[in-house]
Amino acid sequence: MISEIEVKNLNFYYTGGVQILKNINMTVYKSQVTALIGPSGCGKTTLLRCFNRMHDLYAGNRYDGEIIFQGTNILSKDTDLIELRSKIGMVFQKPTPFPMSIFENIAYGLKLRGIKNRGELKSRVEKALQDAALWEEVKDKLNTNAFGLSGGQQQRLCIARALAVEPEIILFDEPTSALDPISTGKIEELIISLKGRLTIIIVTHNMQQAARISDWTGFMMLGELIEYDKTDKIFTVPSNKLTEDYITGRFG
Amino acid sequence: MILKKRKIVSSIALFICFLTACWGIFWLTFIIIDVLRHGITAINPELFLKDPAPPGEAGGGLRNAFIGHLLITVFATLIGVPVGVLGGTFLAEYGRKYNISKVISTLADIMVSVPAIIIGAFIYAIIVKPLGHFSGWAGAVALGIIMIPTVLRTTENMLSLIPWTLREAAFALGAPYYKVIIQVVYRGAATGILTGIILAIARVTGEAAPLLFTAFNNNYFSLDMSQPIASLTVTIFQYAMGPYEEWHAQAWGAALMITVFILLATITGRLLIKRRYKD
Amino acid sequence: MRKQRGKITDLVFLAITAITAFSVIAISIGIFIVLFKESLPAINKFGFAGFIFSNEWDPVKELFGAAPALIGTLITSFFSLLLAVPIALGIAIFITEIAPSFLKGIIGTAIELLAAIPSIIYGMWGLFTLAPIMSQDIEPFLQSTIGKLPLIGKLFEGTPLGVDLFTASIILSIMIIPFTASIARDSFNLTPSVLKESAYAIGATKWEVVKDVVLPYSKLGVLGGVGLSLGRALGETMAVAFVLGNLNQIPTSLFDAAATVTVKLANEFTEADKDIYLSSLYYLALLLFIMSFTILAIAKLFLLKAKRQ
Repeated sequence: MISEIEVKNLNFYYTGGVQILKNINMTVYKSQVTALIGPSGCGKTTLLRCFNRMHDLYAGNRYDGEIIFQGTNILSKDTDLIELRSKIGMVFQKPTPFPMSIFENIAYGLKLRGIKNRGELKSRVEKALQDAALWEEVKDKLNTNAFGLSGGQQQRLCIARALAVEPEIILFDEPTSALDPISTGKIEELIISLKGRLTIIIVTHNMQQAARISDWTGFMMLGELIEYDKTDKIFTVPSNKLTEDYITGRFG
Repeated sequence: MILKKRKIVSSIALFICFLTACWGIFWLTFIIIDVLRHGITAINPELFLKDPAPPGEAGGGLRNAFIGHLLITVFATLIGVPVGVLGGTFLAEYGRKYNISKVISTLADIMVSVPAIIIGAFIYAIIVKPLGHFSGWAGAVALGIIMIPTVLRTTENMLSLIPWTLREAAFALGAPYYKVIIQVVYRGAATGILTGIILAIARVTGEAAPLLFTAFNNNYFSLDMSQPIASLTVTIFQYAMGPYEEWHAQAWGAALMITVFILLATITGRLLIKRRYKD
Repeated sequence: MRKQRGKITDLVFLAITAITAFSVIAISIGIFIVLFKESLPAINKFGFAGFIFSNEWDPVKELFGAAPALIGTLITSFFSLLLAVPIALGIAIFITEIAPSFLKGIIGTAIELLAAIPSIIYGMWGLFTLAPIMSQDIEPFLQSTIGKLPLIGKLFEGTPLGVDLFTASIILSIMIIPFTASIARDSFNLTPSVLKESAYAIGATKWEVVKDVVLPYSKLGVLGGVGLSLGRALGETMAVAFVLGNLNQIPTSLFDAAATVTVKLANEFTEADKDIYLSSLYYLALLLFIMSFTILAIAKLFLLKAKRQ
């Protein structure tokens, strides 16, 4: 198994010095699905947002430690955030279609990268939509506004948008928490189908979801990574008492 | 390569936005410094204590205009504030559930921006013409009408910010609605409403257009609101457009006093609201 | 007994507040009716087309037409909007997306103060300070540069006196920048931060986020803000009254003196010695009221829709 990301002694502080992440160490493996679970407020989303330096959008946040990706520490000052974010995509809790047509939503990231050729744009948009299992549903209304789609379709559109620019990693932040069970099932299938092609890190509050789709699971509590191991091990023979209590539903 | 170009474009665009902000600040400082520079030389005790000298003669002051302006503004406030506060109370309390309240809110928002000179023409037709002459009252009513929508909308907004549970708690003690409003809701929203009133006064203090053909002007000192009465703003218009250096200087002096008053009132209003709603 | 009295007082209070609230409707309708009634003699004499397309403004012959004033109003309003809107958007972008938080406060306050300065101060400052600068430096400079271009050059012909459409529009633009900017800022702030984040997340630069996400998302609010500013510009009186010259003539160049509806009202209302003269002025006021009310109402609807989105 090849390592994709190495997290070393990561600490993270919000404005005013409040420490949110405490000494996180973990390895994320290439082409695998890694899930982060834990009670709300445990820092799992905060950790996820460190991987594409989303915290940099807001003043007063501070990182400490290292996240090694492709041989460099992405927490260093010299990191080009735009380049980093084009390699590490993200899908959010709620669907976030841009105020444009379905086609433009997907083509947007490609156009930013300088792809202007109409034919190439078309074929890559189609491919992304097919990868996101949305093509059949939207192929006749590519030029309509993306807000017209259902919640589940919008979320798959956002996944297609992330896929279109061919990132190495996609971060999922509780991508199904705003969706109905059927749409949730489709997104889960989609994530499983992407396995092997790219690396996925997913934050979820739903333990069954983590068990169903991930290869690796990290359990977090109060800003610490309590246990990190293969998913089947975490869910059958956890080595930490806290993990066991959590997955058997004794708290959280 | 493309990435570099995009970053340069971004930096340039953001820098242009920065320049536009400088453009705004530039004019503000330019105007304030200019008013200050010209105005300060015209400020002397005579400006406040003496009435105008005959045109073209040196000396004299604007006592009549200061007092007249004060009178008009005070009476305008006495008209505009009660109507505005009570009307806003209806929209936020008794009328909360009726559609007509939303219509009135929207209409008030529109009326805030309706040209002030139109209000002047309106008052001319319903007060000045029937009475046969200009009067301080007409000016006060015109400014009062201009204040109403502003005060009404702020009051409505400020009352709506008071949590509904607070009213319920008072109802639970058996208080009738008017007592709940006066003793509980008004108390909670007092700072906000006061700010609205201060800002509305600041706004009408600077109005000239609605006074031109209501209060008109008066070169003599007068406390009689049923007669034409001088105001600083109309005097500024008349003096600035007039041919005498002396007049220009006094217009600058009056302009400085008005600007200082309005800016202080605006800043006070902002500070009040910031302190009250800082979270 | 006490309870009964409480109930009656409550009803009285309710009635008073209701009456004051409805006074807003009464005043709005009252203004329309009064303006209409006062302009009836002029409406009957000149009609609609006969009034708005006529250049005549002759108190002696008792012939009145609104064309020059209406055109002056439209030119100053749209030209000042053209100058103000890009600047105001830039300021709003700067405040919401770029400025560090301490600068946000400072510039925000500065813009609010700029909005608080009364129009008479702008007008007077325009007459004594800006107009001389315009006539001596800026207007001759424009004539020697843009003025040399074909077609557009025509707009910059004439003797640069400083008391003209150009100066008036500049002053008007400075006045409406703060209104447009603060409404645009509020609209930009309505853009959900997660939407901006998702654009950043696919590697967009800050400007790309603003241009492709924030601006399209707040389109309605910005349009509403532009509409409100247009409504204000149409009705602004004192800021232009000083520097426009009140010349009843259809302008051919931006360096021409002109009149607007408001300037005409301000200068001539108290001089109108004949009924038809006054009635014609009321007719102008009525047209102005209808124009600005309509534009403000449309703008308000846009803003309401933007908020509901």
